[in-house]
Amino acid sequence: MKVKTEMVGEVGVIRLSGNLTGGPESDEVRGAVRRLLDSGARKFVIDLKGVPWINSTGLGTLMAIYTSVQREEGVLKLAHVSDRIQSLFMITKLLTIFDTHPTTEEALEAF
Amino acid sequence: MSQSGGSEELVLASDFAVLDRVDELAVKYGRLAGFEDGPLMEIAIAVVEAVTNAIVHGNKRDTAKRVKMRIEWEPGKFGLTVHDEGDGFDLTCVMDPTDPERCMETSGRGIYIMRQVMDTVDYEMGEGQGTTLRLTKSM
Repeated sequence: MKVKTEMVGEVGVIRLSGNLTGGPESDEVRGAVRRLLDSGARKFVIDLKGVPWINSTGLGTLMAIYTSVQREEGVLKLAHVSDRIQSLFMITKLLTIFDTHPTTEEALEAF
Repeated sequence: MSQSGGSEELVLASDFAVLDRVDELAVKYGRLAGFEDGPLMEIAIAVVEAVTNAIVHGNKRDTAKRVKMRIEWEPGKFGLTVHDEGDGFDLTCVMDPTDPERCMETSGRGIYIMRQVMDTVDYEMGEGQGTTLRLTKSM
């Protein structure tokens, strides 16, 4: 999995590509968000355009990120969520937890 | 393998890197069985969860341990058997991850997910025997 981070204004954008399955890439994504939190960012978009699917362990990674952002009074939005990931959110009744947007631009505009 | 059905067996390392291949096989044989769109996606979700659980909870991510997987299909039917080398677990202790008090947990959703999308989810475990999981889905 590739993890790219950038600041767009005051929003930390984390772009992922590859499947999120709970391997070493999960630590990498969590670490990227942690570094942005430590540098003062409180608004985040995770762009899942390059992520066709995740498993329950990858879902746990997203939950851990959501919790750590919320604990520091931040806001997390997700963009480009595939049908399969959306389906996993629906099955696990997490659709109301994650704020999802069709594109990163729309997620940025929603802050 | 014929169009009336078939099977494939694999022995996998306890490594998440195998999941891409597992997903490809689930889609391939689910499609041969005649599943499309939503149900095909559900099969792939369940198969990936089954192997994920075997790696994480069965083999405790021990790369020396193996996961055996067998896919069987026939028109309108898909079946999966996954065997790990773990010690098993108490099925009565499996939580409901949609319980409002549990919904923010970062783990424990695998069995729930499989039960939601497959017709049958059966475990067989015995001391020193490892754990065998069988999943089926029919059209």
